[in-house]
Amino acid sequence: MSDAVQQFHDRAQAKVDDVSHRKKIRWAIDTYEKAVLRGRARFADWEAARQRCYEIRWEAINHLDRYLEQFEENVSKRGGKVFWAADAEQACTYVAKLAEARGVKSIVKSKSMVCEEIHLNSVLESKGFKVWETDLGEYIVQLRKEPPYHIVTPAMHLSRADIAELFRKEIPEDVKGETHEELVAAARRALRRAFFSAEMGISGANFLVAETGMIALSTNEGNGRLCTSIPRIHVVVTGIEKIIARTQDLAVLWPVLAAAGTGQNLTAYSTLIGGPRSNREIDGPEEFHVVLLDNGRSKLLADTEQRDLLQCIRCGACLNACPVYRNIGGHAYATTYQGPIGSALTPNLRGLAEFQHLSYASSLCGNCSSVCPVKIDIAEHLLQNRRNAVNQGQRPRAEEIGMRLWRWTMMDERRFAIIGTMAKIVVRTFGALATYPLKPWSRKRELPEMPKASFRQMWRKHGRQQQR
Amino acid sequence: MAVSSSDDRGAREQILANVRSAVKKIAPRKQVAVARPIFSAIEEDLVARFRTEAAANYIEVMLTENTNETADTLRKIVESLPAGEVFMQDTSELRAMAATATGERVVQWSSDSGPPEASQAAVSRCEALVAMTGSIMVSSGNCGGRGASVVAPCHIVIASSDQLLPDLESAMARAREIAFDNSFVGLITGCSRTSDIEKLLVIGAHGPRQVVVILQASS
Repeated sequence: MSDAVQQFHDRAQAKVDDVSHRKKIRWAIDTYEKAVLRGRARFADWEAARQRCYEIRWEAINHLDRYLEQFEENVSKRGGKVFWAADAEQACTYVAKLAEARGVKSIVKSKSMVCEEIHLNSVLESKGFKVWETDLGEYIVQLRKEPPYHIVTPAMHLSRADIAELFRKEIPEDVKGETHEELVAAARRALRRAFFSAEMGISGANFLVAETGMIALSTNEGNGRLCTSIPRIHVVVTGIEKIIARTQDLAVLWPVLAAAGTGQNLTAYSTLIGGPRSNREIDGPEEFHVVLLDNGRSKLLADTEQRDLLQCIRCGACLNACPVYRNIGGHAYATTYQGPIGSALTPNLRGLAEFQHLSYASSLCGNCSSVCPVKIDIAEHLLQNRRNAVNQGQRPRAEEIGMRLWRWTMMDERRFAIIGTMAKIVVRTFGALATYPLKPWSRKRELPEMPKASFRQMWRKHGRQQQR
Repeated sequence: MAVSSSDDRGAREQILANVRSAVKKIAPRKQVAVARPIFSAIEEDLVARFRTEAAANYIEVMLTENTNETADTLRKIVESLPAGEVFMQDTSELRAMAATATGERVVQWSSDSGPPEASQAAVSRCEALVAMTGSIMVSSGNCGGRGASVVAPCHIVIASSDQLLPDLESAMARAREIAFDNSFVGLITGCSRTSDIEKLLVIGAHGPRQVVVILQASS
C-alpha cells in the first residue's frame, strides 16, 4: 500500500472511531436533509429542474471556448481585467503582485473553493499580507488553521462549545456570551473592522455570465457583498468551467443551487457583479480583476466521457448524501473537494497515480448521482476512474494477478468446481489464516463455517429431482 | 509592473487553444422526452404572494395607500431605531419624505458618499420585487449604490406595487435589461443570516438583521 493510501485509511479509521465526531455530523446532515426536502417540494417538478440545469451546464461546457471569449470581452467593456492562469502558481503570483503593486496591506475574502484549491491564503500570508476569511464557517476554520471540512458548511465538524472555546482564545474582546447568536455577533464585530480597513476584497464566483461579463455570487451572511463593495480592489478567483451563457439561466440555477445546497428558496443575497464602479455610481471598487484558472480543467474537458464533471455547481448535496462521507468526514480525504464529487474529480485534476484510491472510497450505492442537481452520474465516474487506473497499469501487481486468476477460474465450470474444492480444503486446514490476503476485509469479519456439502453437490442431489 | 499592462492576459492563448481542441468533440447529451413546468404558475394576487414569501424570509412588509402614509410608516420605523445617522438614497421623492420621517437624525445622502459604517439604517428604492420568492431586486445605479443594502443593520425599501414581477423568469429578464447600466444587480431574499454553527439559523450575520419593505399601492 502506498503512503497516500495508508494515510487515507488511517485518517478515515480515526474518524470512524470518533463517536462525538459522528454525532455532530449526523446532526448537521439530518438537519440539512429536512431542509432540502422542504426546498425541493417548492418546485412543481424537481426532476424537470434538474434536467434544465443539466442542459444549461451541458451547453456552456460543450461550447466553453466561445463563452469564455464572450465573457472576457464583456468584462473588458466594463473596465475590468481578465487574467488567465494555467496553474495555481500563476494565479497566486498574479494576485500577490497586484496586491503588492497597489500597496495593499490587508485583504478580506469571501468563501471560494478555488482559492482553497490554489492555497492562495498561504501564498499571500507568506508575502506579509493579512488575510481575513469572512464567511463565518471559513473564519472559524481559518482561526483553527484547518482546511474547510465541507464545501458548503466549512465548520460542520464543530459544536457550539468548540467554537465558543476557539473565540474565547482568539477574539476574547469581541465575545460577550456563548449562545449561537452571541458567537455570530462576536465574529461580526471582529470582521466588521476588517471589512472597513481592507484595501482588497477577494471572492470566488458561483457562475460567470458570458452575455454580460458579470459574476454571479450567492451569499447568505452578506460577507460576499461587503467584500465586493467596500475595498477599493475586487479580485475574483474562479475556474474556467463556471461559465453560463445567459442571465436567464439563473432563473433556474439560482433556486436549484439554493435548494440543493441548504434547502432555501433563494440564497439571501443572489448577486450579479461586473466591473469596477462606473462614473455615475457612488461606491464600489475602483478595480475589478477576474482570474480564470485552468489547473487541469482543460485536460478533463478533452475527455468526453468524464467532461460532465465540469458541470458541477458545488452545491455539496453529494457530500451530504454519501454514506462514506458521513462516516469518515471531510478532512479524511485531504483534498480541496471532498466526498463523491471530490473522489471523482481529484484523480482527474491531480492525477490517478496519487489520488485513484479516492475512487475506491465508495460503496457505489449511487445516492450521489441521484441527488446531483445537474445530473452528473458521479458513481459512474468513480467506476471509470477505477477502470482507467487498471488500464494504465496503475494497480498493484498482486491485484492484477489475483483478478486474472479469478477470471480464469470463472470462465470454465469444471475449473470453478476444482478450484472451489481446493479452496475449501485450504480454509478447513488453515482456518482464518487462509483469508490473510484479504486482510483489510477479514480483519473485522469472521469467516462463516464451511457447509458440509457445496451448492453444486446439493443441486445434484435435490435440484434436479424437483425439476422433473 | 506586469499586472497593469493591458496585454498581459497570462496563459490566455494556451488555455483557449486547449479548450478549443477539447470541445471539437461534443460530449453525448442525456435526452429527456417531456419538458414539464419547473415552477407552479402564480395564480394568486402578486401582493399577497409577495407578502407570504417575504414573511417566510424574515422580511417585514408594510402596505400603504399613499405617499403620506408611506412617509409616516418610514417615520415610525426610523423612530424605533437606536440613536445614530441614517443613510438615504438621494431622490426627490425620498428627500421629501425625509423632512418628516427622520426627525433630528443626521441623514447621509447617497449623492455625498457611500454608506457610512456607523449608519443605523439605509433607506432606498428598489428595481423590482419578485412575488414568487419574496425577493427585492436592487442595483448599484438606482438603489443607493452597492453597499447601501448591506452595511447598515436595518434596510428600509420604499417600493410601489406596480414594481412587482411574478417570478424569477421575469426578474432575470429585468436583470438582463439593466445589466449593462450597473456594476451590481442583486436579489435580496431575506435578512443577512448564517447556519454555520450547528446548522442553527441565526438572523443578522454581517448584513442587516431587519429588512422592511414599505409597499405603496400604485395609483
